[in-house]
Amino acid sequence: MAKKYAMVHDNNLCIGCQACNVACRSENKIPDSVYRLQVWVKQEEYPNGSLGYEYHRQSCVHCENTPCVSVCPTKASHVNEDGIVLVDNDLCVGCLYCVAACPYQARYVHPVTKAPDKCTFCHESRLSRGEEPACVTVCPTEALVFGDLLDPKSKINKVLSERVTYRQKERLGTKPKMYIVPNHKGGINS
Amino acid sequence: MNQIWGSMEQYNTVVWHWPIAVYLFLAGLSAGAIISAIVVKWMKGNDVSPWDGIIKAGAILAPVTIGAGLCLLIFDLTRPLMFWKLLIHYNFGSVMTIGVLALFAYMPVSILFLLGVFKKELAVDGPFKFLAPIADLALNYGKALEAITLVLAVGVGAYTGFLLSAMNSYPLLNTPVLPALFLASGVSAGISANLVVGLLFFTHSTKDANVSYLHGLDVKVIFAELFFIFILFVGMMYQGGATAHAGAAALGTGGLSTLLWVGVIGLGLLLPIGLNFALPHGVKHSHAFVIFNALIVLAGVLALRYYMLYAGQTFVG
Repeated sequence: MAKKYAMVHDNNLCIGCQACNVACRSENKIPDSVYRLQVWVKQEEYPNGSLGYEYHRQSCVHCENTPCVSVCPTKASHVNEDGIVLVDNDLCVGCLYCVAACPYQARYVHPVTKAPDKCTFCHESRLSRGEEPACVTVCPTEALVFGDLLDPKSKINKVLSERVTYRQKERLGTKPKMYIVPNHKGGINS
Repeated sequence: MNQIWGSMEQYNTVVWHWPIAVYLFLAGLSAGAIISAIVVKWMKGNDVSPWDGIIKAGAILAPVTIGAGLCLLIFDLTRPLMFWKLLIHYNFGSVMTIGVLALFAYMPVSILFLLGVFKKELAVDGPFKFLAPIADLALNYGKALEAITLVLAVGVGAYTGFLLSAMNSYPLLNTPVLPALFLASGVSAGISANLVVGLLFFTHSTKDANVSYLHGLDVKVIFAELFFIFILFVGMMYQGGATAHAGAAALGTGGLSTLLWVGVIGLGLLLPIGLNFALPHGVKHSHAFVIFNALIVLAGVLALRYYMLYAGQTFVG
């Protein structure tokens, strides 16, 4: 049964602790110099002078309309049946067209394989065992919610029905499957 | 690494580096060289052997420059030994696949053109006697082959622009005028390279009338390029928001904007136009001036490719 996996990142629950970042590195054995996932923390000053933080999850947003897959000349970049954007290293020539075409800077060149690498929602490891991605599992504040958009009873569909969300750079028509719950304070920089 | 989330080195938006700029230059030059050689060959009196030096220059330059460019491109891949997978796996939605297929067809027809023009040197007196039947084929079906070559050359020249304009991650590149700009500047580079090679290496067979014609054509193409660059930036301003911001930054920030104003526009476009109008007829038509003019045009076109590639990837709004 095909699925449509997606994730929610709640800016109000996130504390920028980087537990997700570290869990991702350890689960996916990411080399020291590169990252599939970071949470960028930005200090904000609101109009009344109070201070707060904005958290940006920097990783693949698993677009439905994928610029990286469209430009790939060999179909090494592809979307699997569950809506996860992946790279088939056997087909990749390393032209880096996908790295350049990604509006979210989600891809990097893996220092060992020399092929572009990126977040896979832990597809090859945890997901195949029926577990959630490592970042979701370790998040201490439940700021990350993962699930199948095609299952009306899934936790993610419940969250998407109850909280306000937006997606980054929606104007590009990429239809990311990474939903952001914006900070309840201040403006939204989409 | 001084943020708690780790090193941000991988988030450099400049993904493609100078070898790609040189490839874009060489691909445009190759297409322009064969286009201008065919245009000259189709003119009255030029369609019979002995061939004009310009035609010989284009016949050599087209396959040699595209070959050199493709070698550069393959060695720039992060997995160069896998390059052959590009030749057997296709994605018809990708401009790169379309480019590979266009080059598949363009390479042989440009080599056929070379064989036809240099039949005597290569297949009659030279070491490639076994290629004589193919050279004859190229000559017997010259007009048809040249028509096909012309279409493919336009495709190769324009595809280098589409390759970059297909990416909506870069506002300076994601513009419909880029393929037209690259095709025009490629034609300009091809004309200039043909003039240099024709006048230096085939001095006796290069007719002055053809030199004047191509030189005059180049000036017109340069005006078109100036207009395309103007359209590109005005278009970005009209889009507003991040695109307008990126456009303004690309016009006025750092060494790249200096390269645009001094190298691309000043040296490569305005100086040739200025000299063409300011210099007396005698100087303008001297071989030395035509060669000098062609060299600055070539430098300007290379600067344009370098500027577009780097500024495009640097100023993302």
